[in-house]
Amino acid sequence: MKKLVFQGLLTITLFFTILFVLNQIDWMRILKAEQVSQTVDKKLGELYWELFSESEEEIENISITSAIDSILTEICNSNYIDKNKIKLHILENNEINAFALPDGHIVIYSGLILASESEAEFCGVLCHEIAHIELNHVMKKLIKEVGLSTLLSMTTGSNGVEILNESAKLLSSNAYDRKLEREADAEAVNFLIKSKIDPESFATFLFRLKNNSKEGNIMELAWINTHPNIEERVNNIIKQRDSFAASNKPILSNETWMNIKVLLENDH
Amino acid sequence: MIITKSFVYEPGEHEAEKASNSYLMSLIALIAGLPLPIVNLFATLFFYIGNRKGSFFVRWHCTQALLSQLSMLIMNSFGFWWTISIIFTEETLSNRFIAYIITVFLFNLTEFIATIYTAINTRKGLHVEWWFYGNLTNLICKD
Repeated sequence: MKKLVFQGLLTITLFFTILFVLNQIDWMRILKAEQVSQTVDKKLGELYWELFSESEEEIENISITSAIDSILTEICNSNYIDKNKIKLHILENNEINAFALPDGHIVIYSGLILASESEAEFCGVLCHEIAHIELNHVMKKLIKEVGLSTLLSMTTGSNGVEILNESAKLLSSNAYDRKLEREADAEAVNFLIKSKIDPESFATFLFRLKNNSKEGNIMELAWINTHPNIEERVNNIIKQRDSFAASNKPILSNETWMNIKVLLENDH
Repeated sequence: MIITKSFVYEPGEHEAEKASNSYLMSLIALIAGLPLPIVNLFATLFFYIGNRKGSFFVRWHCTQALLSQLSMLIMNSFGFWWTISIIFTEETLSNRFIAYIITVFLFNLTEFIATIYTAINTRKGLHVEWWFYGNLTNLICKD
């Protein structure tokens, strides 16, 4: 019996020792798995962005893009995020919406900037979308909803336009699951605090849009409609914010922020 | 790892064939049942049930084959469902997963070679006892 127990334990030990040793090797690098995944990510990003840029007009007014770029640069610098991997696009659309696409593309609709009463409110949504990218939520969502094989076939062009359109709709008008949204909110609050932006504005923005949607004041509330459980999320943001000494130091001057809104209004 | 011992009696030609088949059963089912790890266990289990009233030599080898399949089932099932979760859920490919799959592959390969070796030798009427499983079978399977 003793011999049996000894042999059993030795077999289990052997298994875990081999596992431990093999675990020390960076297989992802050796097998170039990350490189392949980055190529797929890049190709999908291009495909989706092409689709959106064809159907909507991108705002190229330098006063608007450079101001928004300053906000993005400040948030990235404060959080040690490689700014070059984020490709921010502002599209002319009345919808209050923003969403992340593969390969670091973030699409912001002009309606969202116009609906933000302050720069801090806009930063809240922007940080939320950056968080989705940083936490690799975009690919996770696509793999879950569309499937890895379909995504891979899309990159080789062997899959129809229909799937591309459907999955693009999924990214722009469907929320992530509850867990991923909670993670993105928590990460967004961290980004905001490190960027010296008070997360309370993010919570206020969510709350205001929710109330407006209840009263039917604003018709194009895509972002809020696709992000349910607003009360719970607002409470979580405030709770997390209260555990830090939040400060508020605007990135742009109030004049610049108001100027962006005027320019966007005029563009409409 | 594998020891050829003398059995309590000299098995006959028919017994040696049946005992050898218990190992072949798991091999054939392993090939047919890929990637579902439970198929080979079921095949060995049915063969065991069919021979539970057979001679001691046959029963002994059916039990050893079945026990070895059980531990492989746990290992392979974990790997199987981990792979499924990577393909269909938000789980991603990682160093840990690749390390686990290689470990499981090494254990499967060892078991595969041992099974072939045992099947050949048992067919010759030789009694082959595996590391750990041999002792475990001695404990369970009584004359």
